[in-house]
Amino acid sequence: MVLTATVPTPQEEREALRTRLTSQLEQGALDLPLLPVVAHQVLQLSGDPDADANRLSALIQQDQALAGHILRIANSAAYLPRSPIVSLQQAVSWLGMNMLAGLAFSVSIQSGVFLITGYEKEIRRLWAHALATGLYGKEIARRLRHNVENAFLCGLLHTIGKPVLLHLLLRSPSNQDSPPSWTVLEPLIQDCHISAGTKIAEAWQLPYPVQEAIRLYPDDSYQQATSPTKGAIITCLADHFASYGLASSSPDEEALRALPVIQDLNFYPDDIDALFALRESIQQSVEAFLV
Amino acid sequence: MSPSLSYDLIVIGSGPAGQKAAIQGAKSGQRVALIEQNREVGGACVYQGTIPSKTLRESALQMVQFLHATDVFEFRLRDDVKIATLMTRLNTVVRAHGAFMAEQIARNGINRLHGRAQFVSDREILVRHVDGTTTTIVGNIVVIATGSRPRIPDHIPIDHEHILDSDSILSLVYLPKSLTVLGGGVIASEYASIFALLGVQVTMIDTADRPLKFLDPELTDQFRAAFEKTGGRYRGQRKIQSAAWDGFSKVITRLENEETLESEKMLVALGRVANIEHLTIQAAGLTPTPRGLIAVNDHCQTLVPHIYAVGDVIGPPSLASCSMEQGRRAICHALGLHPGDAPEHIPMGIYTIPEMSSVGLSEQDAVEKFGGVLIGRARFHEIARGQISGMTNGLLKMVADAKGEKLLGVHIVGEGATELIHIGQLGLLHDMPIDRFIDNIFNFPTLAEAYRVAALDIAKHRRKL
Repeated sequence: MVLTATVPTPQEEREALRTRLTSQLEQGALDLPLLPVVAHQVLQLSGDPDADANRLSALIQQDQALAGHILRIANSAAYLPRSPIVSLQQAVSWLGMNMLAGLAFSVSIQSGVFLITGYEKEIRRLWAHALATGLYGKEIARRLRHNVENAFLCGLLHTIGKPVLLHLLLRSPSNQDSPPSWTVLEPLIQDCHISAGTKIAEAWQLPYPVQEAIRLYPDDSYQQATSPTKGAIITCLADHFASYGLASSSPDEEALRALPVIQDLNFYPDDIDALFALRESIQQSVEAFLV
Repeated sequence: MSPSLSYDLIVIGSGPAGQKAAIQGAKSGQRVALIEQNREVGGACVYQGTIPSKTLRESALQMVQFLHATDVFEFRLRDDVKIATLMTRLNTVVRAHGAFMAEQIARNGINRLHGRAQFVSDREILVRHVDGTTTTIVGNIVVIATGSRPRIPDHIPIDHEHILDSDSILSLVYLPKSLTVLGGGVIASEYASIFALLGVQVTMIDTADRPLKFLDPELTDQFRAAFEKTGGRYRGQRKIQSAAWDGFSKVITRLENEETLESEKMLVALGRVANIEHLTIQAAGLTPTPRGLIAVNDHCQTLVPHIYAVGDVIGPPSLASCSMEQGRRAICHALGLHPGDAPEHIPMGIYTIPEMSSVGLSEQDAVEKFGGVLIGRARFHEIARGQISGMTNGLLKMVADAKGEKLLGVHIVGEGATELIHIGQLGLLHDMPIDRFIDNIFNFPTLAEAYRVAALDIAKHRRKL
């Protein structure tokens, strides 16, 4: 009798992972990563009306890596400083409190929780999309003349479930010798990220409008959102624009114009033209933001 | 492009003026099309103007009263409940009002078209829908009721994040520590007093020496005193040189007298501009006035006889109440219907904290017109109801002719002013003698009693003549 080892097909492998993940999600047995200390403090500061810039500046100076990234970003083409930024205080002044808070939060999460060896390129792509969504979200909100401040954080975190899932899948025990390929993981992550994102948003006690945007941003659910900040619907369109803005091949503008969310936001063709025109500047900003 | 559709009446804009015009047309048996560029009907009045600001004001007042009650009752509000609760209630009220208006339009068989209107000729209108498609419609009568939006001054970079206008300020989700308000008109004064009441450090800046310059100085003095009591500051006779976000944590405002002010946020409320840029009114044979408005006669009729314009697009008084009446009367005129007597005494309500309201002649106008006046005053702290309700900073001022017999105007500051004014309005409409306010009995204790007290004050002055 000859014993042969059977190698699972990608489909079988994905289904096995899905079964395990679904079970974990249903049981609520997620071992969610803790919000990095600095990110947590930044989030608290940015939501605190009594917080001032000096406290944020002091916080950043405590974290060497974060301070370095802030300096790099302030000097990047996206922010075009009038003269080279040579000190942290100068960088802080140049970037502004809100941008700095968003940036510090983003950088500390990227560099802290979700460093996953072997998937650096994919993680970077996920973050690029999240950052672009945040930046487009701000511009969409500005055109609506409606709460620009909230839109960035909603966009930045709307797919927080994706790195969380990747983190979980790779930490879980597996019969495989080698980690699953991205082709296997990606559809699974896409299917389950909202559920995971919702749980981590609750666990991290993110502001309610952000929690709602994470839970309800997709095309088929933003109409259920009730927050007056409109974070879910803004993030829905921002998510589509982020995909458009970061696409390497020629993106389909007509498909984007036909999205129901555009009509639900009452965006006329000239509003959409204005968003299309932002592509290059948002690409530059995303490059600057990425760790 | 779809084939042309014909209507008896086309109304462009569904705010108070357009809505009433459309309903009057429909009730008169006309086939009516109502074009609205937003998804919802109601215009800025419902979504950015009258309804939200008044709801915010009412909620702020209720919340502050509730907070004061914590001294008496043992409960405590969570600090973060404040603004979220206000905004959620705002959303609920706005949605409910919008739904009511949509239902009213549907009930009257009015055909709604969602899109931006553009004149092709004096009777033909192209509607550009949000999806990029177009529809052309033709009408025998056209009413322009496209309203207005906040004016954006060239030298102030409104970003809706740090420097806001009266639309974007409604989407704040937290209270800033400090707010600079540019302007001294109705919108500026209303928001300044609301945010000051909520504990925000508010500074108003305007070129006039006092806010709401068009109102009786005794009213604005009371308003200013109440505003300053809540921590607000009014910096009059000052011109802005520049205002900009410092890129970090505050908005820096530089004045021409070299003063510099800092605040977390800024509200720019320096007037409104008519929404006519998408209309291409020149194609209909019309030209905007130098102030960007549409010129009309007493019947709201433009130079093109079958085109009417109503509401904010024709300029002051820009009151929702007047706009509604303009809409109704324009259609009556267009259809040859008797619109009823023209309104003579239109009250003005300012929803500051405290409220202010005015009807008829001011003291100054009356002196100019009649040579002399007698003034009667009733202060709310002299009225039992004022004491009971804790409304001790109110004033009702009655303007009578020089003999003290004929009522010429009423001006009120204090909570309830916008309701209380209607007694004075009816008095003016019926030429009620001053003594009628003395001879009649008002409920006790009510603020209406102030009318009797003010009339008695006039009678006292009369005896000295």
